[in-house]
Amino acid sequence: MNRRTAFRAALGVLGWWVLLAGLWLVFVSAVDTLELVVGGVVAGIAAAAARGARGAVSGR
Amino acid sequence: MNGWTTAATLTFAGGVGATVWGVATGPLRRRVVAQNLSSALACPGLLLLAQGYGRPAYVDLALVLALLGPVGTLVFARLLAEELAADPPASPWATWCAAGFAAVVVLVLCAATGPGRAMVKLLVTGALLTGGNLVASRALAGGFPGGRRG
Repeated sequence: MNRRTAFRAALGVLGWWVLLAGLWLVFVSAVDTLELVVGGVVAGIAAAAARGARGAVSGR
Repeated sequence: MNGWTTAATLTFAGGVGATVWGVATGPLRRRVVAQNLSSALACPGLLLLAQGYGRPAYVDLALVLALLGPVGTLVFARLLAEELAADPPASPWATWCAAGFAAVVVLVLCAATGPGRAMVKLLVTGALLTGGNLVASRALAGGFPGGRRG
């Protein structure tokens, strides 16, 4: 993996994280610190999984 | 009993009741379409109940159904692919009527809720529901032959 593909991969994960963390923020009933921390962490895990699934589908 | 719960009762009794009848009787091509429509009608009913009872948390039920309903239809489309290819279902008007009904319910609830996170949640639920059901309906009609190998 060269620097260009690594940058694209990081950008993809970041895009997924923004989308998923935003959804979490919309779906929770009360916005407090704990919800933000948990949402940020699970959005990160899900973003990595989404990137992996995308890569598996496109054969990369 | 208020206007919201009355509308929800009518949706469940008329809409979902009719789809249960459609699933239980008739040829396969009608049954799969009725199965797809059942979630497309039950989800707006649940949204109306959440508004009627004044419990925004109940919207989660509709959200989960909006996700899982079309997925269930896609499973049927996959498992029954051979039978459906021989006798493909085509129900554009019923599909579009259900999608339009869901859109109207979501928009009315958005107007009642007012701007905020709850409204965004309603809009996401409505988009998942209508989009998912249109895709699932197209899959039933043989719109994705062989799937896409990207």
